[in-house]
Amino acid sequence: MIDNTWTERTAGARLECEVNGRPVSLDVAPSARLLTVLREELGLTGTKRSCEIGRCGACMVMVDGKPINSCLTMAYQVSGSRITTIEGLASEAELHPVQQCFLEEGGYQCGYCTPGMIVSVTAMLEHNPNPTMEEIEEAMSGNLCRCTGYGGILRSIARAIETGGQSNDCR
Amino acid sequence: MAMSQEELLRSPAVWQPRSPEEAASMKTAFGPDAVYAAGSTLLRTQWEAGTATMPRHLIDLGRVAGLKGITEDGAETVIGPMTTLTECRTSERLAESAPILVEAVKAIAGWSVRNLATLGGNVVFRVGDSVPALIALNASLEWLEGSRRVRTSAEEWAAAPSSASRLLTSIRIPGGEAGARANAKRFCAYHKVGRREAFTPSLVTIAIQGTREEDGISSIRIAAGGGQTTPVRMTRAEELLLGGRPDANLLQAVYEAVLEQYEPKTDPFAADLYRKQTAANLVAAALWTQFRDSASKG
Repeated sequence: MIDNTWTERTAGARLECEVNGRPVSLDVAPSARLLTVLREELGLTGTKRSCEIGRCGACMVMVDGKPINSCLTMAYQVSGSRITTIEGLASEAELHPVQQCFLEEGGYQCGYCTPGMIVSVTAMLEHNPNPTMEEIEEAMSGNLCRCTGYGGILRSIARAIETGGQSNDCR
Repeated sequence: MAMSQEELLRSPAVWQPRSPEEAASMKTAFGPDAVYAAGSTLLRTQWEAGTATMPRHLIDLGRVAGLKGITEDGAETVIGPMTTLTECRTSERLAESAPILVEAVKAIAGWSVRNLATLGGNVVFRVGDSVPALIALNASLEWLEGSRRVRTSAEEWAAAPSSASRLLTSIRIPGGEAGARANAKRFCAYHKVGRREAFTPSLVTIAIQGTREEDGISSIRIAAGGGQTTPVRMTRAEELLLGGRPDANLLQAVYEAVLEQYEPKTDPFAADLYRKQTAANLVAAALWTQFRDSASKG
């Protein structure tokens, strides 16, 4: 029933998925972390490595439109999925509206948590364009910032909600 | 880019069975070298922390038919163990039939982790924060043990998990209390205390589910857990409350019963006395909130 051979192991190790709108096919270990695949195999270093236990949110990406911690996710779990990283939000010509709001409202300081924050805000607004403060707190509880005290981040989110985080009118 | 030989050797083989029976037969074949994998969020943190080693084989349950989703079976609500915590959190059916489970799930980790993590994974963890809610709801768990189907209550599972290798196949929440009169009103509460307001491991969790009628409480189940404490029923407090109308004197007795029966595991973050007092206060306060009219007259 089970062909427990190295050939069998390797055969299942090809990751086929879509990253930022482009098809990707890679030979990676099925248990490789998505974070490692993105940063080291694809060079997408906007996704940050930090706590590595799913707590800080610096490694946040969207998988099929849902935010997930790439440090907790293994390659086989995203087979066939559509992955969006921070690099996939902006167009070539301009920033994503949520990025623009963070820029204009001072939603960052050292910037290390910012990609994960922006991915989480984008995912939240795609699911719920008009969240209450309670819903914002729940959606953002998985993203930590040690610099800003969150004031600028909450201003940025409020601005993104006001101006419509899905459109390009935050400028 | 090619995968290095070293990486390949370190990595477990991932098997993706299509049926519970196939998954169980893989586990039988590989024995302790294999681990079932659901959302794998806990496994990954254990591997990172060094509290568990990566197994040689992962049996991914993600493609097993029939293990996902929330359905009805007669009066029971049936939850597939591979249903994510987010799906439980947003389920209208669960909001109606098991609101304390929704409250419990809402307080587990953050949205992004809940998108991966499953209810089954939290249950099998045994000290997961959903377990007190499932005990209070009198939920039962269905398992596949080899080729045999086994059903246990969540309470039995928490008290004494089987040493046999089992695959959780469903989590079943009963409908109304058998024998409850039509005018019986349900009351329930779930509270979690941690070291932070959100996204925090629990120190103490309590869950209460009961029915009240004109002549007093007609049914009640109280469970307490939190941290590494295996959730248990607070049977002495239940006995005091059954048939009664909670007033200040009864709530004082309930407080003391929980204080006596709840035996938390301690850790460097909180002593057992703090946890005991917290659990007792949470139970008494939750009941006071439900019965504040009669309680204020005591």
